[in-house]
Amino acid sequence: MMDSRSRWLVFVLIMLTIWLFPVEARADNVGLDLQSILDQAESGQTIVLKAGTYEGPITINKPLTLHVEREGSVKLHNSSSQPAVSISDDQVTISGLHIIEEELKETPTLLVTSDQVVLEGLSIRTGSDGIVVRDANEGTVSNTTIIWAVKGVKRSDKGNGIDLLNAHRWKMTNNTIRGVHDGIYMENSDDVMISDNVIERSRYGIHGMYTKRALIERNVGKHNVTGAMIMASRQASVIGNTFTKQSENVYSQGILLYDTHETIVADNTVDGNRVGFYVEASTKNRLENNRISYNFIGIQLLESSGNTMVGNQFIGNVADSQAHGSENNALSENYWDSFRGLDIDGNGKSDLSYAINPFFQGVAEKRPAFQLFFQSPGMVFLESLYQTERNYWATDTAPLMAPSDSRIQAKHPNDGVITGILGFILLLCTGMIFFTMRRQDT
Amino acid sequence: MNEIGYVASREMKIGFRNPWAYSFTALFALFMFSLLLINTQSYVQGYTGSSSTMINLALYLLPLMALMLGSFSLTGEKEEGNWELLSTYPLRTWTFLTGKYIGLSAVLMVIVSFGFGLSGVASWLLGGAFAAVTYFQLLIFSLCLSLFFLGAAMLIGSIARNRWQALTMAVGVWFFSIIAWPAILIALLGTLPYSWMKTAVTILTFINPAELTRLFTVVKLGGGSTLGPEYYQWMDWIRSPWGTPAFFGVMLLWIGVTQAISYYLWERGRGRG
Repeated sequence: MMDSRSRWLVFVLIMLTIWLFPVEARADNVGLDLQSILDQAESGQTIVLKAGTYEGPITINKPLTLHVEREGSVKLHNSSSQPAVSISDDQVTISGLHIIEEELKETPTLLVTSDQVVLEGLSIRTGSDGIVVRDANEGTVSNTTIIWAVKGVKRSDKGNGIDLLNAHRWKMTNNTIRGVHDGIYMENSDDVMISDNVIERSRYGIHGMYTKRALIERNVGKHNVTGAMIMASRQASVIGNTFTKQSENVYSQGILLYDTHETIVADNTVDGNRVGFYVEASTKNRLENNRISYNFIGIQLLESSGNTMVGNQFIGNVADSQAHGSENNALSENYWDSFRGLDIDGNGKSDLSYAINPFFQGVAEKRPAFQLFFQSPGMVFLESLYQTERNYWATDTAPLMAPSDSRIQAKHPNDGVITGILGFILLLCTGMIFFTMRRQDT
Repeated sequence: MNEIGYVASREMKIGFRNPWAYSFTALFALFMFSLLLINTQSYVQGYTGSSSTMINLALYLLPLMALMLGSFSLTGEKEEGNWELLSTYPLRTWTFLTGKYIGLSAVLMVIVSFGFGLSGVASWLLGGAFAAVTYFQLLIFSLCLSLFFLGAAMLIGSIARNRWQALTMAVGVWFFSIIAWPAILIALLGTLPYSWMKTAVTILTFINPAELTRLFTVVKLGGGSTLGPEYYQWMDWIRSPWGTPAFFGVMLLWIGVTQAISYYLWERGRGRG
């Protein structure tokens, strides 16, 4: 029989051993059996995986923490039809793992069905949905990269990067998602926070359906069909995001609000998209201090009312705005660079109002074949003739005279010099022709 | 071949001594320059507010310029009796018309290039940013537009008996194809069943070189998605490697057809003369 002191000593030694020498996986060959390591582990244990390639699928059904020995050294391959990783118990943490799937399949790469799961610093190559969360709350995905792995697949056949359904209070920060269907898709999920993510070459960067109080901030989207698509949602905050170059597709836009209410869209930059902001059937939203530049259409406002638009900058868009059926919105103090205002009292605001002509939008909506006349000189002329029922047009009552934007100008092409040289050559050649062809007195 | 060259160089000499050519040069250069001054704050790259404004300016000015210079040159030959003199020489009608076309197109190209040269240098000096690719695309757009409408001008010059008739027709064609085009199409085609409407718009677009050139340029500048889902295939097609050759093919065909009709009209006139 041990006395209590030696019992304590043994206990401390055991704990020290676990702490110093956690359960280790061998790393000497490919296809290590990770599942049996997980099966042997105790609840609440921290497992540090040694460098190597492991074979999936794995299921985690107890609270565990899974770390890797060295960043990027542990790979998990999965060629089965099951999810590479399934997490079905609460408080599981996985970090630093590289999960690789190279084939098209139905089940997701990582499936979460339990609460308080933390996914940190993962790298996922997927042929399906990257991370799927079902009926699970309060999880975190951060510093994770999700990339579509299978070549030659149509966008509509791809899976989503992160897909939430009935998943509340999730936080997704600093992730990079590329080439998937929707970057982050959330449905019936409330109080989700999506911040500082980069999403490229996907269909929709961030896609919310039936959500409440989503916080979408400082995300960057490039070359997607649409940057952020918020549909049938309430009380979202879309703040400080940047969506650029989403102009390839005929349905492209920077930020889309459809059937969305009481949402704040502020301090975003939408640059070089087909449509900067598209707002349809939405009410009581506040669009504030956004920079909408170099889009084909700055803002499209359709069948929406009760929205407030203040302090937005419209710069270099082919058409600043199109509106139809959108009366009773409060537009004021926005800057529209195509509008030449008149400021009598010197308060920096025009005393002439800026009204959005609904003519072209109306024609093209009814008969899309006439969309061909977008900004054609004849159409611009015709629009200027159409002035009836002006009091029903969406109107900025006090447009700004000068942009108030202190943000740094978006990218500048740096080949102005080449243009200068080309121009100089043209000028020189034509000048010489003019000179030789001039009338000479004989 | 030498005869074409002779007629063309004669046309160029006359063209460059024509005060009209210089006033158009000044007008075009002035407008390009003003647009640049208005847009000093912003950069011009791809399809943006600035490039769209430049396209519209070119659409207002260049067709009118080509129509007037071209048709006046031909009717001038009739009015001043030069053609009667020339027709006593062994000079064939098509040689005469082709030479005329080449000479006039050289004059127009110089006018357009001068305007672009000036705006290119000015934008550089003013520290603006005019992307070289966009600059080049807009230059090509303006040149094509001029060449298209010069074809129409040759036709007007062949039909009209004197400068006054030519002026009336030129302004009429210009107004119809540039200003009134959408209004007329919306009014006339609005009643058609929808499936016919798109076909009709497509066919009519090929008839109006201003629209054809504008749409080609908008797609090339990257703005094809503004045309909406109805014209998705157009966009893909114009962007494909065949897009540019096909456009130039249509342009050559267009100019060829107008030249052929002009030739027929002159030949008929010659027979009567």
